[in-house]
Amino acid sequence: MLPGSRTSFKIQPHGLAPVPKGPKSSDKRNRNSQAFPCIPGELVLEEAARVRKIVRSRGGEGSVLGTLYCTNLRVSFVPEPALSDTVGAPRHPTCPHNEHDVVLPCIRRLVAVNSFTKAKMLTASSTLKFIPEELVLYCRDFRVLRFRFHESGLEPRAFQVTMAIAQAQQSSGGRPGTWPYSTAIRNLENVWLRTEEASLLSSFPTLLFEGLCDWEKELRRLGAAGWRVSSVNERFDMATSLPKYLWVPSRLLDNELKRAFAHFNARRIPRLCWHHPGGSNLLRAAGFHVDSDPEKEDVRCVEALMLAGHTQCVVVETAADLPGPADIQLSYLKLWTLCLPDSSVAVADEKWLSALEGTRWLDHVRACLRKASEVATLLEEKTCSVVLQESDDRDLNCLLASLVQILSDPHTRTQAGFQSLLQKEWVVAGHPFLQRLNLLRDNDREESPVFLLFLDCVWQLLQQFPTSFEYTEAYLVALHDSSYIPFFSTFLFNCQWERDRRNQHRASNQIYASVNGWREPPPLEILQKGSCLAKEGRVPYLPTIWDWALRYTAPERAQFRNPAYTRGSNTGNAILNGNCAPPGEDKPEATLARNGAMYLFAKGALLLQTHLFPWKNGSLSKKGWRQAPSSESLSEQEWSLRSKPSSCLLQPDGLLCPVSLGPLIRLWRRCYLRGSSEVQRGLFAPTLAELANELDLLRERLGDGQAMGSPRVTRHGSREPQPGAPEGKRSPLSPSR
Amino acid sequence: MFVRIVQSSEGSMLLSATVKTENWQFKYKEPEFKNKLIGENDITLHCVDHIYGVYDEKKKSLFGQLKKYPEKLIIYCKDLRVFTFCLRYTKEEEVKRIVSGIIHHSQTPKLLKRLFLFSYATAAPTNTDTQNQTVMFDAIKDWRDELERTKGNMKYKVVSVNEAYKVSEKLPLYFVVPMSLSEENILQYQGRGIPIWCWSCHNGASLLKMSAFPKEQEDSTSQMQKNFLDGVYRTINKPPYEVVKTDDLSNSLPSLQEIQTAYVRFKQLFLIDNSTDFWDSDVKWFSLLESTNWLEIVRRCLKKAIEVADYLEGQNTNVLLVEENASDLCCVVSSLVQVMMDSYYRTKLGFQSLIQKEWVIGGHCFLDRCNHLKQNDKEEAPVFLLFLDCVWQLVQQYPPAFEFTETYLTVLSDSLYIPIFSTFFFNSQHQKDTNMSGESHHAQSSHFRFLTVWDWSVQFEPKAQVLLNNPLYAEKPKLDKSQRKTTRCKHQRQLSLPLTQTKSSPKRGFFREETDHFIKNILGKRISKLINSSDELHNFTEFYDSWHCKPVDFHGLLLPHVEGPGIKVWAQRYLRWIPEAQLLGGGTVVTATKILDMMEEVQSLQKKMEEKHSQTVSQGREVLPVLRNSARLSSLFPFALLQRHSLKPVLPTSTWKDLEDEEDLAKRDDEFVDLGDVI
Repeated sequence: MLPGSRTSFKIQPHGLAPVPKGPKSSDKRNRNSQAFPCIPGELVLEEAARVRKIVRSRGGEGSVLGTLYCTNLRVSFVPEPALSDTVGAPRHPTCPHNEHDVVLPCIRRLVAVNSFTKAKMLTASSTLKFIPEELVLYCRDFRVLRFRFHESGLEPRAFQVTMAIAQAQQSSGGRPGTWPYSTAIRNLENVWLRTEEASLLSSFPTLLFEGLCDWEKELRRLGAAGWRVSSVNERFDMATSLPKYLWVPSRLLDNELKRAFAHFNARRIPRLCWHHPGGSNLLRAAGFHVDSDPEKEDVRCVEALMLAGHTQCVVVETAADLPGPADIQLSYLKLWTLCLPDSSVAVADEKWLSALEGTRWLDHVRACLRKASEVATLLEEKTCSVVLQESDDRDLNCLLASLVQILSDPHTRTQAGFQSLLQKEWVVAGHPFLQRLNLLRDNDREESPVFLLFLDCVWQLLQQFPTSFEYTEAYLVALHDSSYIPFFSTFLFNCQWERDRRNQHRASNQIYASVNGWREPPPLEILQKGSCLAKEGRVPYLPTIWDWALRYTAPERAQFRNPAYTRGSNTGNAILNGNCAPPGEDKPEATLARNGAMYLFAKGALLLQTHLFPWKNGSLSKKGWRQAPSSESLSEQEWSLRSKPSSCLLQPDGLLCPVSLGPLIRLWRRCYLRGSSEVQRGLFAPTLAELANELDLLRERLGDGQAMGSPRVTRHGSREPQPGAPEGKRSPLSPSR
Repeated sequence: MFVRIVQSSEGSMLLSATVKTENWQFKYKEPEFKNKLIGENDITLHCVDHIYGVYDEKKKSLFGQLKKYPEKLIIYCKDLRVFTFCLRYTKEEEVKRIVSGIIHHSQTPKLLKRLFLFSYATAAPTNTDTQNQTVMFDAIKDWRDELERTKGNMKYKVVSVNEAYKVSEKLPLYFVVPMSLSEENILQYQGRGIPIWCWSCHNGASLLKMSAFPKEQEDSTSQMQKNFLDGVYRTINKPPYEVVKTDDLSNSLPSLQEIQTAYVRFKQLFLIDNSTDFWDSDVKWFSLLESTNWLEIVRRCLKKAIEVADYLEGQNTNVLLVEENASDLCCVVSSLVQVMMDSYYRTKLGFQSLIQKEWVIGGHCFLDRCNHLKQNDKEEAPVFLLFLDCVWQLVQQYPPAFEFTETYLTVLSDSLYIPIFSTFFFNSQHQKDTNMSGESHHAQSSHFRFLTVWDWSVQFEPKAQVLLNNPLYAEKPKLDKSQRKTTRCKHQRQLSLPLTQTKSSPKRGFFREETDHFIKNILGKRISKLINSSDELHNFTEFYDSWHCKPVDFHGLLLPHVEGPGIKVWAQRYLRWIPEAQLLGGGTVVTATKILDMMEEVQSLQKKMEEKHSQTVSQGREVLPVLRNSARLSSLFPFALLQRHSLKPVLPTSTWKDLEDEEDLAKRDDEFVDLGDVI
């Protein structure tokens, strides 16, 4: 179309990666300070006016006129005010998650299109030889943003902005050791604190498990009597990837404990994850180290760790039925391509389902759910210790351990409990988020969305048990999206040691003065609410993602709460607080010494192990135990699902039994298909939320009325009125019966 | 003495029960649950799909006279239940009687007059007149009202030429045709080639259907028919009727045969008599599903309906659906279009009236398509189920737009096989009328009345009926009733229209800048109409896309999503009997009951508020209504009972489990012997 488009422009890319302090960008920033809502510290690198954002990809029609910005943080599109007025709602000023913005690490692919040449995928090093007419951003969060440049003499602008995006996107990672967003983040935080201070305090108390008292508090909640918190790894000198504090059997002294470390890969010893009120324990551990010698004296200590006071120990080989990180990555990429709302790669409608099957993503989800429910059943049925063993204990063990807890423990189905769970089993336990999410793009080969697979599993549970969870699909989507936003300590480090080291480092050499006149160092008590970090005196200056108020407005956060949530009538909480004495606890210690029985659990079958400890990972012949379970191992089995028919009537309250049948494992449409023409609808019809609000309102008013005359009756806790709750009389809800 | 094996996730459990064959159903003890007519363990004879016998672990289909009687009897039902009966502990004499009885009564062809329907109607106590608000369309007034409601009465008229079925036995007594059509025309070819009115859009465009002429060999006949058709077209192409778009459904939609094959294959996925099959199929689930082609057929029907809606609403064009008898896919498409375009049909009464209008009175051959008489397997095709499945897609995509729930649809689909309702047991109004009058000669005529399925109280207690209503239905705001209801709907619906609609109303006049576009549009339409009147161009995407860009108005036009992920399996209907698919304390039903609970509480609180306001003196201590602790439900709730199944998850493959089962069986054997002695 353009006359000049055939001459290849030899404009060199800016030579170096864009320097934020460049005079050009800074003065641009000043110029645009009204137009573009920059976060302090955010710099506009390039901009192009009169860009059309294509609103719908399928129909092709419909576009919004506006200005496209590329900053050192994100690519942002600001529609012309005339249009945005009708759209209405003033956006949260600093939310990088609105529909027109995309944070740089979230861009997976960047393609420039010109009508004459083929579409070209851009990286920082590529030179663009034509004027792009259209720029397509394929985002990791399943969106596709298309920008069409206006055809009126602004070609160089289009060119520059495209290149700027390409380079900024690349430079957001690539340089290990330096932190590209440091200034931006620091200031972001200030802004957030300023604007959202009040609501920050009202968010859910999450145990961060960074300090000792979180561990102790949680142990008390579980009522695990035979366990204690060990601070043997407080300085990370036992194992760098482990958390500082570990739950270990009380009778094991730290000295004995220390001898166990060498027997496990990366020195990740078995430690408690969860204690079932019935007495079983869930443990996780890495595989046995190659050099571990069964003849050594300290094997006893390993044994004690694994048996954990029980006579039976079931070792669950985590990797046996579950996909590996590489499989997960592969199928996730396939899924991503399938779900992209891009008509060029769209699959025919009638072939869609088999294409979905071809990604194998749902198979992986199914495998995880099935395995988790098997383990949860084991915990429920037997009194034993269940050890999840994965060779490095940092990927699928995180997933499995947390899924099992969600199935078994109603507390983890509350928002606070869920967040604590994620802290405990993922963040502190050393899931290598940095590698797996690859936010900095240093190493593509390690990328694997294990965490997103986990979120999908939780979503499956959520849709199978819609009233058992305090949080909603919207919350999970928010969590999913947050994993691409590079501000949060939660997802930026591979383990707690790194996280702490970074923070120490920052704290020491950046006692920064207020930037732009914002407040002095962020108040500790706000940043560390719920944790006991204050006395350690470290400043976690990167916020955790649990401060939802930083990014989500109150109405958005109101959507995180499930209006249909019903706490179980006889909640497991009472039991979990240790009211019921676990039967396994009072067994004489002598029994566990040598007559412990050891089972291996994989592919849905239990098998008695003749050798107790340690066998090496993979040294078992996989065929042998699966196909021909020896007869004595069968007779050994007194474990029967039907043995206690009465107990099963009590049990379902706490335990969720998900179904992993083909038709019931569904696609998380609201997350993966959000870019397509699907109308974004809430999980619940608005009327359900309205109903809940009205109920609250009525209860409250009635309560107020009665408070004068009679003792106030509050049944379901006086929830604070919803922010969106309409005031005054409203009774449009005429139930249609 | 008869033993039933109940499938459960723990393996097999034995239940003892006595079975006797009745004329229409065989029944166990244990009358449970809410359907007042059929218990959970009852199978109406019309619901029996296939019967298998197990001989030495081999499964054989049973029919005709048996030489040897099986050890186990497996019955597949049309509502997808699977029953397994163990006959090993039953006396041989009884086995013979029961098995041959079941086979005889359910599998052999029979006469219409021998339907249980007739015995029931004569024997059943006369029902005190139930208030039936569903419009039945068997009276001329119903049609007039409908014309009035849709504002079709300017151009269309009700004719009564078919009184006493002079014209055709396939046509109803009364139907609606274009005003200008003469009576001779209607009489000429027994109603073939006559456009029959289905529904009028608020903008005046109408949906018509027509039964085509059969393919004739003789040139002269076909020439005459062609001339006749041309005449008819000329009549209806003149003002006040606008352009008519003709759509021959036999070209654009799958044949009945294809539908039947697809359904049979689809059904097979859910008819499971041992759970291991099910475990194995998980990995291939989606491709299995896809290979049945059923969802694709659903999609094609929905697409066709969208296309028709585009013509009616978007382009202001009349649409004439043509099919051989205008009673199969015509019914599917026309009623789908009406559900999508007219919010009245999304209420329960409206939906029932629609089924009366298009299906029951409209002449869908229920008797043949459901193969109730087992006379001709070739005629069998689940057309009505296909329609219900399409509606279900809409219901699950836009739940607040419908007054009824998916449970309603499921229950309705089950009612297809309950032979006490006349609704789904005749091929046409004529057939029903003649059979009724024939009977009344020698019986007391006044007492001879058929029940309709729409009287839900016959099947369900009021408490159970609550589950059929959608508590979250976004009811239309009620205005004062003096105002014309229709004008109101019209206004609302127009609001929700896509932009394209405004261009194409020629009466309204247009602005200058629109002119070019408009002319192009019109010309294009004309030309394309000329070029491909037969060849279907699916050019509704623009209409479809622009509609989906806008927020949904639940009282306006509704277009379903038809993309790959949009069409789903009607899980409630197809999975409800599979214990492995049961979620304890889960599934959509949990939300639904939660909503009902909340609704109830809101109501009671509201009432309390009012009371309080009315009497200024506070009543003092009054306890808030205690939230009733509803029983823990499972996802299969309305259909399968909780206590029947295992409450535990199962570790799928463990050898030791089998051993234990054996043991258990042995134990139970003893019990049965004892019982048998007692009885």
